[in-house]
Amino acid sequence: MKDTEVLGISIDAPPSNQAFAEKIGVKFPLLSDMTRQVSKEYGILNDQFQFANRTTFVVDKQGKIQHIQEGNGAIDPTDAIDICTTVHRKESGGAQ
Amino acid sequence: MRKRILPIVLTVFLAGMFTLPTARAQQPPPPQPAIAHTSLKVGDMAPDFTLRSDQNATVKLSDYRGKKDVILAFYVLAFTGG
Repeated sequence: MKDTEVLGISIDAPPSNQAFAEKIGVKFPLLSDMTRQVSKEYGILNDQFQFANRTTFVVDKQGKIQHIQEGNGAIDPTDAIDICTTVHRKESGGAQ
Repeated sequence: MRKRILPIVLTVFLAGMFTLPTARAQQPPPPQPAIAHTSLKVGDMAPDFTLRSDQNATVKLSDYRGKKDVILAFYVLAFTGG
């Protein structure tokens, strides 16, 4: 979808993410939240293990959250893609 | 006297056999590690951030405002199941 950007985020350092991106062949940016500040602000930092829990947020063009998927369901991007399609329709004034 | 006590002892013993496992089964499960759930809700503004990408580029969430929808996929660690 040309109107959608996917950003992966973890607490890994950029070189780790670069190696990971090459290994799994992702074409979207993998971002490093090494200070854990962003994971904390999004409320998903696991205090015990100090990494972010698996969560997907869909953010629309206004910067508003349109969808949140937590846990194992966040592995499957189908819901997030469906939500993006709906958001695009709304933004273009089409029917849902 | 002995004949009277024996049934009582047997009754208490049998009652204990059936109630103890039940009592054990009713104990609460051991505490699990706390899993953080976001307090953000649909409709909230996504907190802005600036982070470095795997290609060493600086990426700012608000740079996409008015241009693209963004899927933020937080994953646990690189080289894991995600």
